[in-house]
Order: sequence, then C-alpha cells, then structure tokens
Amino acid sequence: MKIGSMLGEIFKSVFRKPATVQYPYGDRKPVPERLRGTVRYNPEKCTGCTLCMMDCPANAIEIITIDKPNKRFIMRFHADRCTYCAQCVVNCRFKCIEMSNEEWERAALTREPFTVTYGRDEDIQKFLERTSLASTQEKP
Amino acid sequence: MTGPHVEKFIVPIGPQHPALKEPAHFEFTVDGETVTSASVRFGYVHRGLEKGAENRNWAQALYLLERVCGICSHAHSTVYSLGVERLAGVTAPPRAQAIRQILLELERIHSHMLWVGVAAHEAGFDTLFMYSWRDRETVMDILESFTGNRVNYSANVLGGVKYDLGPAQADSILSGLDYLEKRLHYYMKVVNNDESFLGRTRGVGTMTTEEAENLGAIGPVVRASGVSRDLRVDAPYLLYADFPINVITATAGDLQARFVVRIQELFESTRNIRALVEHLPEGELAVRFPRKVRAGETVSRIEAPRGGLFYFIKSDGGENPFRVKVRTPSLRNFMSVIVGAVGHQLADIPMILSGIDPCFSCNDRTVIVRREGRDGSAAPSESDSRKDSSS
Repeated sequence: MKIGSMLGEIFKSVFRKPATVQYPYGDRKPVPERLRGTVRYNPEKCTGCTLCMMDCPANAIEIITIDKPNKRFIMRFHADRCTYCAQCVVNCRFKCIEMSNEEWERAALTREPFTVTYGRDEDIQKFLERTSLASTQEKP
Repeated sequence: MTGPHVEKFIVPIGPQHPALKEPAHFEFTVDGETVTSASVRFGYVHRGLEKGAENRNWAQALYLLERVCGICSHAHSTVYSLGVERLAGVTAPPRAQAIRQILLELERIHSHMLWVGVAAHEAGFDTLFMYSWRDRETVMDILESFTGNRVNYSANVLGGVKYDLGPAQADSILSGLDYLEKRLHYYMKVVNNDESFLGRTRGVGTMTTEEAENLGAIGPVVRASGVSRDLRVDAPYLLYADFPINVITATAGDLQARFVVRIQELFESTRNIRALVEHLPEGELAVRFPRKVRAGETVSRIEAPRGGLFYFIKSDGGENPFRVKVRTPSLRNFMSVIVGAVGHQLADIPMILSGIDPCFSCNDRTVIVRREGRDGSAAPSESDSRKDSSS
C-alpha cells in the first residue's frame, strides 16, 4: 500500500516524446498495408454480374450498363456512403475491385467530390451524354 | 407524506450528463449523501437495428450488426456469422475459426484496457486512465495492421474471414503482446497497491455470490463475485475446445475484484492468442456461402468482453433474415447497479456504474409486451404496452 504509485511512471515520461502526433502536421505514422481506402474499379475484367452492388451494405456502388453484349460497364462509387467493409472486393470473382491504401483522406466541403465514376473514358462520355440528354428531356 | 422530514429527495442523473458518456436516465433517492433507492431508464439511443437487419440481405446485415457496439464489434459480427452459418449448414474452415478467435481475444484486450482507463477516470485517477490508454494503442495498432481498421474491423465474411495471418502480422502480434503483458503486470500492481485508488474500489459495490446469481449478472462482473460462468468454457465455440482458457474468478465481489479479474483475464487472452498464432491451422480462409439460407431458427452465443452475447436468428428460406434478436451483456448487469447502489454514498455511484462496463447504446431494443387476459384471450391492441429499451 502506498500513495502516488504512478509517480515513477510520470517522471519517466517527462523525458519521453509525446505519445500523440500532431495530425495532419509533422511526421505522420505510415498507414498499414491493409488499410481500406477508396474503392478502385477496373472495367477491363468486369462482367457486370453486380454482385458487388447487391451485397453493398451502404448502397455505395452503382454498376451502370453501357453496352451489355460488348461487356461495357462503368461504376459510380459514392465515397460518402461507403463503410469501407470490403465486401465488394470479396464478392468480385474477377478481381475488378480493390481498395487503395493511399487514398483515404477524403474531407471536402460539398458532396460532389465524393461521387467517383470509373470506367473507360468513352463509356463515361456516353454515360454523361445519356444523363444530360435525359435531364434536358425531363425539364420541359 | 406526513411532513417535510420524510420527503424523498431524488437526484436525477442523465439522460444528458457530463459524467455519462452515453444517454441513460438514473434516479437516485438519497438520504443525506446515502442512496436509499435507485432506478434506471433506457431507450434514448434506440436505433432500430433489429428491424434494419430484416430489410437487408444476409451479407449486408453482417455489417449492420457489427455496428451494434463500437467496442465489441467483432464479437457481434462473429456471433451473427456463427448463427447464420449454422442455419445454412456451412462451417468456416479451421484457419478462419482460429483467426476469428485471435481477433476476439485481441478485442477483449482492447475492451478491458479501455475499461481500466474509464473506471480509473471515474475514480479521479486520470494518470492511470491516460497511461493505460496510451498502452492500449499497441493493441489498436495490431488490429489495424491485421484488418486495416481500428474499430469495426469487418474481418468476417459469411463462411470465413477476409484477412490471413501472415508472418508479418504474427510478428507484430507477438511483439505487441510482450509489451502489453509487461504493462499489464504494472497496472495490476497499481490497482492492488495504490492506497488512494483502493479507497475508491475496495469494498465498493460489493456483490456476494448469491446476489450475483439472483440478479442474473454476467461476464467479468459475476466472475468477480466467485461464479465461474464463461461461455468460452461452458459452451465452447470456434476453437475454444482445442485452445481452452482458464476461467478467472475472484471472491470479494467488489470493484477491486473486478479490476483484478479483468486484468488477469487479459493474461489468459495473451496466452490463448500466442497458442493460436503458434499452432495456426493450415487451409482456406473462407468457403462459399449461399445467397439464400434454408428456413429455420437458431440461438447463437459467445462470450463478448462484457459477458455472454446472445443472438436469436430466424430464416424463412429467403435472402434476408426473417428476425434477428440481440441481447447484449450490459443489459443483464444493470440490475446489479440498481441494487448495489443502495447504501452507498452518492459519490461512489459513477464508480459502481462504470464497474459493470456499461454500454448503453448496445442495450436499446424495443420489446412489445402483450398482456394476455385472465381467460387466455389477448387484450385489445390499445392496451399493448410498448416499452423502449429492455429486451
């Protein structure tokens, strides 16, 4: 039984570096290799099975068919809804989806930057044309 | 009421209160500084998770239920996975089971160390709080390098796990555990020797073995009162039959005993993790899981850090769960606070409350009580009493 049993520990700590880091300034701790960051999609191997979309617990993934016979698909990924659980990565049998361990600092003031569209450039162009056409038709 | 001398004085605490981390409403009737009776009311953080699970498919519900508790998230996802796998007739490969068990024990270390800090903080011993939380970062880093996340690891999938335990992870686990064990020995010395701290813990909130049994307490709280009750031993799941743990019990039943039981449990956990890492079974990480689960119902139970965690899962043969019922361990321990508070000083109440490691948000379920008439006929629906919380 004694009083101040942690005093020794406190004195030792006086001469140590702080345990905390001044994020985002100063030296950053390296992120772990397995960190689950932004979802990335490779359209080359995708067959459009939409298993990733079906099991996403947060409805963060949309697979949009551009040209089914030629296997042209694009993915719209909503980073603001994603819970980063990696169920889509597990579900994809063709390894089209992976999660980046570099891209994870995603603060923004508006929601727009959180929606990312992946796919071949011409497919994205087609998709954008289609959506703009649909919106002009709806207006009148 | 016959006069001002016998008037009851009730101290309300919560739902919003600086000393409470989560919302719950307590009413303590006091006579001077001594508590004469106590009551509790929950339901302020009811989130409708059980109903939410019914609207999702089996895989999506896994991630929803993982978020029932932020601290024992892996326990929730494992108990759900085990139940659903049993319903579907699928067994996770041995390697996946071992990895689940390693994560469960790592989570226990992180949960108990968090508790040591919180309880010390409630006692006004902030030095212990800060240093134990600094050291807790070691196990958080292990979990992060293993699964990619500090909380809500999402390491489970139905039918197995996502992440393998490679040599790099095994090294980080073993070296981290060496450090943690050293620190835990030190904290054990502090909680047993610091006189000012013992003044707040020894003889406070004492629960005898009989009381603990009668109040239906669970987890480290009941083990500190001398009852050997642990699902890892009583109903082994995963690989606990091959890699058993020893149940830690104490007889005193007071807060100090709960500190000792929890810290000693961590030595059991580190021993168990080491054994699993050294004898990790070879094989696959996951097996294929069907989209539809055949009709049936099951009860799934595991020992979460706070005590036995109970899930009832029912399937009607479809892609979604028909019903998921969750009973978290904190709920069973609240009676020990209500009864244990009586006779204590009001200043001891935060310590008694934190002694059960309460998790308010996990508790809040809805239960509908249908009062049956005397003749057996159901009473009209207007008289159905709906009570928030209590499950």
